[in-house]
Amino acid sequence: MPPLPAVTFDIQPQLATPIYRQVVEQVQRLVAGGQLGAGDELPSVRAVAERHAINPMTVSKAYSLLEAEGLLERRRGVGMVVAAGVQPARKGQDRIALLEPALLALARHAHQLGITSDQALKALAKALQSTEQDNP
Amino acid sequence: MTAAIEARQLSLQRRDDWSAAHHSVLDRIELSIPEGAVVGLVGRNGAGKSTLIRCLLGLATPDEGESRLLGEPSQALTDSVRERLGYAAQTPDLFPRLNGLEHLQEMAAVYPGVHLPDAVALAARLDLPLARRADALSLGDQQKLAVVLALAHDPDLLLLDEPVASLDPISRRDFMRALFAMRRKAAPRTVLVSSHLLSDLERVVSHVLFLREGRVQLFIEWDEAVEHLRCVPAAEPVAGGLHWSAAQGGQLLVDSRQRPEAAGLAGLGMEDLLEVLNT
Repeated sequence: MPPLPAVTFDIQPQLATPIYRQVVEQVQRLVAGGQLGAGDELPSVRAVAERHAINPMTVSKAYSLLEAEGLLERRRGVGMVVAAGVQPARKGQDRIALLEPALLALARHAHQLGITSDQALKALAKALQSTEQDNP
Repeated sequence: MTAAIEARQLSLQRRDDWSAAHHSVLDRIELSIPEGAVVGLVGRNGAGKSTLIRCLLGLATPDEGESRLLGEPSQALTDSVRERLGYAAQTPDLFPRLNGLEHLQEMAAVYPGVHLPDAVALAARLDLPLARRADALSLGDQQKLAVVLALAHDPDLLLLDEPVASLDPISRRDFMRALFAMRRKAAPRTVLVSSHLLSDLERVVSHVLFLREGRVQLFIEWDEAVEHLRCVPAAEPVAGGLHWSAAQGGQLLVDSRQRPEAAGLAGLGMEDLLEVLNT
């Protein structure tokens, strides 16, 4: 069996999004994008809490919500895995829906700064390009 | 779920030596902190944070009202509850001639729950030299030792008064991890921790308790605060807000679940919230 991709969360406590929600949304995106597939293991509550120096209850809360959503399931002796039958979002549209909150925030910020649509789109393209270079 | 910490009308006055006037240090504090909560106790200097912690522990006597820790009155705690409490005072209370390990051994002699190997491992994680006498430790290391001692017997309820003030950022991160470490029981530990280093608290707290001039201003789940508390401009105090601040032309702290029009506004960090609540 090939080694499982190690999932690491990007957690930023100072964001206006609660930490548990940051974890929920990242798992949703990783599943939708196909980086996490059915049966893949998630890092243990303890490991995530330890790594980011956050409250284990926060990680539990996120995992429980994802379990209730049907995206994760608890497997005995293993911990949390992506639920059987969960598929990556087939259509680009579903993935775009997950991007919506970030897009709206971007649009709002650009508007507040008086940036034209053209300028904003160019800046976005540039940001996408540099992310792709960093994470080939 | 039972409350780990409860207070009813807890009040304490202090006589000012110069004017002989009395002023409230704690003013009718009402509290009910559920078991397993990790509560950040936040407020300006002089807000009453240390006095509240000392009162809860029975180290200071209130003039009115009462409080309970793990179900027992603060002023009459039995040994069976004391054994389940951990406390580190703002100024570490250590024996100057004893080194860290000797402190732990002293503790192990008194408290049945002390697990020395775990405590030594925690000290190592915090980079604390256990062989050095307490009077030769830096203030930061004294604080670390106080925290290791407070945690050594795996307490069910931990009260920490400004435990990280003298620690560098890396040590503070390790300290935050330590709050959840050394837990051998299934039930999560309840923690009340006062600090001015709010970005550290933001990582670990489940609840936050804002204290101002001896009163509880706001006690809220931190996730809820991040998701729902917003500031709307308001030139003067109006009904329907949690607090009105005169700063920046007047602003009203609201819960966006009651004021849906505020939902699109930017969220507040703990520092923003503290500022709004104290202006």
